[in-house]
Amino acid sequence: MSDQAQLILWLIPGAPLLAAGIIALLGKLFLGERSHVPCVAALAIAFGCSLVLLTKIVPTTFVSGLTSEAKVEADKQISFQPTDEQVITPQRGAIAKGYTFLDIGTMQVRVDLRADAIAAIMLAMVTGVSLLVAIFASGYMHGDPGYPRFFAAVSLFVFSMCMLVLSGNYIQLFAFWEAVGLCSYLLIGFWFKKPAAAAAAKKAFVVNRIGDFGLITGVFLIWKTFGSVDFQRVLFNPELIQKINEQHPGTIPTICLLLFIGAMGKSAQFPLHVWLPDAMEGPTPVSALIHAATMVTAGVYLVARSTPLFMMAPNVQLFVAGIGATTALISALIALTQYDLKRVMAYSTVSQLGFMFMALGAAAAGPKFANFAIMAAMFHLFTHAYFKALLFLASGSVMHSMGDVIDMRRFSGLRHVLPITHWTFLCGALALAGFPLLAGFWSKDDILAALAEGMHSSHGQFFTVIFAVAVLTALLTAFYTFRAYFMTFWGPEKFPEEAGHHPHDAPPAMAWPLRILAIFAIGVGFVGPLHLFSGYFEHTPGLPAAQEHGFHLGLMILSAFIALGGMAVAYKWYIKSPEIPAKLESGLRPLYALSQGKFFFDEIFTAIVVAPIRLIATICALFDKYILDGVVDSFGALPGFLSQAPRRLHGGLTPAYAATMLIAAIGCVVCVMQLFAGQ
Amino acid sequence: MIGFLVALMILPLATAVLLMLFRDSAGQNTARWMALVGSVLTFCVAVTCIAKYRDQVIPTATQPVQPRIEWHHAWLTYTTLDHVHDEKDIESVLNHPEVKLEFFLGADGVSLCLIALTALLTISAVLISWESIKERAAEFYICLLVLESGLIGVFCSFDLLLFYVFFEFTLIPMFFMVGLWGGAQRNYAAIKFFLYTLCGSLITLLGLAALVLMAVKGGVTTPFSIPALATYFTEHPIDYRLQVILFLTLSAGFMVKVPLFPLHTWLPLAHVEAPTAGSVMLAGVMLKLGSYGFFRICLPIYRQACMDVGLPLIATLSVIGIVYGSLCALAQRDIKKLVAYSSVAHLGFCMLGLFALNSEGITGSLLQMINHGLSTGALFLLVGMVYDRYHTRQLDDLGGLANRLPLIAAAMVFTTMASIGLPGLNGFVGEMLSLAGMFKIMPVYAIIGTSGVVLGAWYMLTMVQQGFFGPLREPHNVHEPVGDMTPREACAFLPLAVMCVWIGVAPQPFIDMMKPDIQAVVTGYDHSTPLTAETQTESPAQLTVINR
Repeated sequence: MSDQAQLILWLIPGAPLLAAGIIALLGKLFLGERSHVPCVAALAIAFGCSLVLLTKIVPTTFVSGLTSEAKVEADKQISFQPTDEQVITPQRGAIAKGYTFLDIGTMQVRVDLRADAIAAIMLAMVTGVSLLVAIFASGYMHGDPGYPRFFAAVSLFVFSMCMLVLSGNYIQLFAFWEAVGLCSYLLIGFWFKKPAAAAAAKKAFVVNRIGDFGLITGVFLIWKTFGSVDFQRVLFNPELIQKINEQHPGTIPTICLLLFIGAMGKSAQFPLHVWLPDAMEGPTPVSALIHAATMVTAGVYLVARSTPLFMMAPNVQLFVAGIGATTALISALIALTQYDLKRVMAYSTVSQLGFMFMALGAAAAGPKFANFAIMAAMFHLFTHAYFKALLFLASGSVMHSMGDVIDMRRFSGLRHVLPITHWTFLCGALALAGFPLLAGFWSKDDILAALAEGMHSSHGQFFTVIFAVAVLTALLTAFYTFRAYFMTFWGPEKFPEEAGHHPHDAPPAMAWPLRILAIFAIGVGFVGPLHLFSGYFEHTPGLPAAQEHGFHLGLMILSAFIALGGMAVAYKWYIKSPEIPAKLESGLRPLYALSQGKFFFDEIFTAIVVAPIRLIATICALFDKYILDGVVDSFGALPGFLSQAPRRLHGGLTPAYAATMLIAAIGCVVCVMQLFAGQ
Repeated sequence: MIGFLVALMILPLATAVLLMLFRDSAGQNTARWMALVGSVLTFCVAVTCIAKYRDQVIPTATQPVQPRIEWHHAWLTYTTLDHVHDEKDIESVLNHPEVKLEFFLGADGVSLCLIALTALLTISAVLISWESIKERAAEFYICLLVLESGLIGVFCSFDLLLFYVFFEFTLIPMFFMVGLWGGAQRNYAAIKFFLYTLCGSLITLLGLAALVLMAVKGGVTTPFSIPALATYFTEHPIDYRLQVILFLTLSAGFMVKVPLFPLHTWLPLAHVEAPTAGSVMLAGVMLKLGSYGFFRICLPIYRQACMDVGLPLIATLSVIGIVYGSLCALAQRDIKKLVAYSSVAHLGFCMLGLFALNSEGITGSLLQMINHGLSTGALFLLVGMVYDRYHTRQLDDLGGLANRLPLIAAAMVFTTMASIGLPGLNGFVGEMLSLAGMFKIMPVYAIIGTSGVVLGAWYMLTMVQQGFFGPLREPHNVHEPVGDMTPREACAFLPLAVMCVWIGVAPQPFIDMMKPDIQAVVTGYDHSTPLTAETQTESPAQLTVINR
């Protein structure tokens, strides 16, 4: 690869890292309210380079006109030796050389940047969304005392996320997997004075660590099994995977399961989803960037990236689909009754991530369908990033003008006061609900199609259930999205007192990102039906060959009806006859409470996990202090105890000494006499 | 090269002697400046030494021989003249004595890394004591410098006798540091620390003596030289049962020092009572003497015992230590005690990696020794800074310190991340390699150990959340508002932070330093996969043949 291309590749993570360093060092003293400048500039550079990567660099590596077998051969051709001398040029991907991170025994890890089709798509999305979010935040965070800290952390996050996507091996991936978790921790706890924010940050980190526990164990198992952690060797070598699967049948499914546990943590899948709603304590741009568009999709990316392994473990794929469906449904049900606008969006994110995992799991239908299923998941990831970021930013704009009030019961009818926010939010909501021809429509339709294909496979019954859940969840999604929309923007005009008398709409720095994202939410979906996305995506190495896919008109009509139906119900219940929800609430009290109480997951986990461990910890501490250390102390006391008796003999009284002497002398004499007598 | 090594041992000692000479006339100020100059000089020499070693020794270090820099001086020889018949023979016999006691100094990559760590932490220890040690300041710094000298001595010793003398000698200055400048329970803590570790070491002495006697019997001319012993006992393994007993005997002192569960109870107490500098040196370097002893003496000499007994025993104790130490830390309300228990867990990772007995695990373990020194040292520095300001370390009295002390809080978050093994900082590399090494041979231990990573995040972040985040809560007895980190404190903290990032981002240079030495130890273990059915049943029988 040319030097220029290497430079461009390195600039993508490098520029944000540099910005993070500059802001961290100079922010407080010199930059102050201009701290966003390095961040925005760096993200613009990164975005530009990502576009070059997407359109110029990566496509040159595509091998066109090859049969699928030839592509597999092309992927394998390079025998990857992680030494500095060898220039690494994989097929169908670009590598920018870095340095040797670790090289001891068989643990050989290099830090390189590896870009192929899937990575290029992710990068363009990540840098694009983060650029818009950073611009938005320069308005939204204005006047906050931690302004420099915010932009330093955001820059660091973008760096870490880009490095994660560009990883060429599992250790590097894990490293930046945790690094994005750190940024998430720092940004959730950004307002550390708020106890809720501090608690949420810790919760996010610890719950993620549970997932990471699975992931690192999975990576160890990969390393032990394959003797390497490099994608090139582990993923793109079908014969090796085949051989290992034959020799050690259980190993690859175990690896996949462990990797998926990692994905469950990062992508907030049931039962590890509990951290994400709490993460909304962070500033709203962070929620948009990290907890909706980018970081939480890392799990989807990981599973999609590891497709060659997952294809050997159809049962794990079914598990993935099952977890995805469970998560999607549960969180959609919770979102139905939440009053906190951001929490609705958070549960919606969890639910949409569930959709993506359902699609990934649908690859179990067979190698023929796998490409389409994974493409559908990645496509939904791609469109979701735009419209969910938009929805969060618009919610942030609402929050901004409402004086940081986010409870939907306390404001309503904002559509005249906040026109820009209203229109952009509507675009996002329509896209999320799957309104025909908007972004979410196309990608959700692809997922339904992938699941429908699963119904014709050997796991037909299972996928019938999953498909039904997906349809139901899609209906719920349209409903709760528009419930939130109507509650916020329709009805009588009402502001909380925190907002002051004249709430103002978004200033330009906030308005323009909203407008641009709105355009994306409307239009970006067309890359799907035009086969731009799938045409590019199928060049990802390691994927099974793609099959021809026509339009599934029946499914499209179905999903259009679902979307419109959900929206219509929301309109009926919240605009036409607002007494219905109250009636339902009193009529279905226990169910309503279950949804309102978020299925009581937090309480359940506290009771069955946190409290017992805390109890055991207390017992351990007491055991350590009194029993273990008590044994030590009693050993220490032993000499003192044993010396009690001899001490009496040394009381310091002359008569006692004299008596002892006398007795001893007599004893000696007796002994000596006995000795002689014996002779 | 060897001159540098000797200078490393002498410099702190010489400074201490100077301080002793002038201790009546020198006030607190002179004493601390002298100590600072002495420790900085030592560190400079250590860095020069490493630079030279990298340039000159590493490229030629192909043969698995340790140490790579050495210097012998026979100070006692023993020869029998029974077989001497004429005058001429005497000369040659005297020149080739049967037994030589040598003053055998040396260094390899591992010891140089640990020496540099010692020197670096001493500077931080001096700086952090700058204001807080007011009474008998000169004596305090004398103790600190003598301690440094002793610690460097341990790492330079390739002679069992010398090793043991230095190993024990370090107890004395530490005993005084805890006992004279410590907290409320300092006497109890100092005596317990001293006696507990001494008891362990005495058992070790027994093991050493037996080992040396066996070597003498076998005709080794330098029975105290560790490399000679390693070579001899590799060629002539000790009878299996005896080997196990000797291994356990020799390990006793090291196990206490590490400390492995359940021999750790001296540690939290000593840490809590020790002055900040004492805690830094204790956690940062002294605990490593145990694991270093395992690496230097047990691993090369008792190969079979290490594989068959050491691996299951130590690995079990280590994982118990990891989980148990983490749980104990979770229940603590005193920050310093929490950090002390976290040491138990971290040293568990270290021992787990060491007894993986493969190059990944041992590398991880050695890195973990350095990393734990850096990150726990830094944690103790920060806890000390908080204590200097508020005279309390209880999480119940403190809260939201980030509002008052933003820099210290930022440093605390940073160090916490290093300590819980966040990638990009030092802790990750060591823990990851240790666990990976163990995973390769005994996945179960590694998996249980990995769960300690989750618990580690939990207790450390809980501490940060309660102590530094949330609304400000200060003890009532503090009247004037306290200031943030001073430049002096920053000077104590920053070098450690820089090293944390360096090792975290690019660990390979550090690994390259130690790689040949690790290879030298591992080669004996490479051929046989431990704990397979064959080695367990066959090797003891095979081993009994030797040793008469």
